[in-house]
Amino acid sequence: MTVTSFSIPTLETERLILRALCEDDIAFEKAFLASDDARFVGGPMPPHRAWRSMAMMIGHWALRGFGFWALEEKKTGQYMGRVGLWYPDGWLEREIGWTLMPHAWGKGFATEAALASRAHAYDVLGWDTAISQIAPENEGSKAVARRLGASFEKHHEDPEYGTIEIWRHLGPDALVNGGMEAYA
Amino acid sequence: MTVASVITTPRLRLRRPEPSDLPAYTAYYMGPRSHFVRGPYTKAQCFEKFATVLGHWQIRRFGRYTITLEDRPIGHVGPLMIEGDKAPELTWTLWDGAEEGNGYATEAAAAVRDHLLGEAGWTLLEILVQPDNAASLAVARKLGAVLTDQDAPDWYPGCLTFHLTTEPMQ
Repeated sequence: MTVTSFSIPTLETERLILRALCEDDIAFEKAFLASDDARFVGGPMPPHRAWRSMAMMIGHWALRGFGFWALEEKKTGQYMGRVGLWYPDGWLEREIGWTLMPHAWGKGFATEAALASRAHAYDVLGWDTAISQIAPENEGSKAVARRLGASFEKHHEDPEYGTIEIWRHLGPDALVNGGMEAYA
Repeated sequence: MTVASVITTPRLRLRRPEPSDLPAYTAYYMGPRSHFVRGPYTKAQCFEKFATVLGHWQIRRFGRYTITLEDRPIGHVGPLMIEGDKAPELTWTLWDGAEEGNGYATEAAAAVRDHLLGEAGWTLLEILVQPDNAASLAVARKLGAVLTDQDAPDWYPGCLTFHLTTEPMQ
C-alpha cells in the first residue's frame, strides 16, 4: 500500500493556533511577498513564485517531518504569518524561522509562536540545537531572536541572499525546564 | 469532482508522489535531459521543486502523479495549477532516457487526460512544449492537442501552447 499523505500537528499557544498552511493563507502571503515589506525574506517576488514557495513549505513536511505552521489568531481567526522548523537540502543547519504579515507585527506573536516551535523541535523531534538566519538590517527579527534567548554567532555569505547573520538558539540543556512546559 | 489519487493503465500505475521518489526525480533534474524544462538544477533546487510538487497536491487536491512501472518510479505526469485563475497545465516527463520509445509518456498522459476531461469534469488543459522537444511534441499530437497562437508565459520563454478540450477532434 502506498502511503502518500502526511500529517501536520496542530499546536496551541496563548493567543495562536499553529496549524497546516492552506490556500486561503496563500492570498495573504502573495500580497505580502509582492511588497517591499518582504525585502528581508526574499521578496518582493511575483505571485507565482510566492505560491510555489508556500507549496514547497507544505511539501517540506512530507520530506522532513517538520516545517512551517500557519499562525491563526484565536480571537479573530485571522492569518498572522508563519513560524516553523526548516531544513531543506543544502541548508546550513536546522533552523527556526518566522515571518509575520505586517498586520501582525509588534504584538509578540513571532516570539510566542517561535517558542512553541522550538519546544516542538527539542521535545518532540529531539533537536539539540537550532539556528536562525536573519538579514543584518532586519532589526525586528533580531529583537525576536534576542527575546528567545538566541545570540549572534557569525556572518554567512549566502549565494542568493548575500550577507546573513546566523543566530544560535539556546539548546535544550540551557532551558530551565525545557520546552513546552516552560512555555505553557 | 474529486480527482483520483491513483490511475492505472495497461502497463503503468500513476500515483501521488511520495518522498521515496526524490532520488529518481533529482537524477532527472540534475541531468542533461532536463534542458527542455530550464535545467539542469542543483540538488538543493531539486529538493525544493519536489517539495513543491508534494505541496501542490496538499493545497489543490490534485497534482502531478508519479508514473510507476512495476513499482519503479519512471517519471511524472499530471496537471499543474500554480495560478488559480489560469487553465491547469498538463505535464509529462520520463525521468530516464532509457524508458523512452515505449509509449509510456503517451499512455500515462492519455489516461490523465481521460480522467480529468471525463470523470473529473474538467474542460480545458494547456500543454506547454519547447519547439525543439520532438518527443514531447509527438506526445501532444497523439493526445489530440490543438496548437494555439498563445504567447509563452514569462517563466517559460519560447514554448508552444496547445489546448486539450472535451470538444471532438477534427
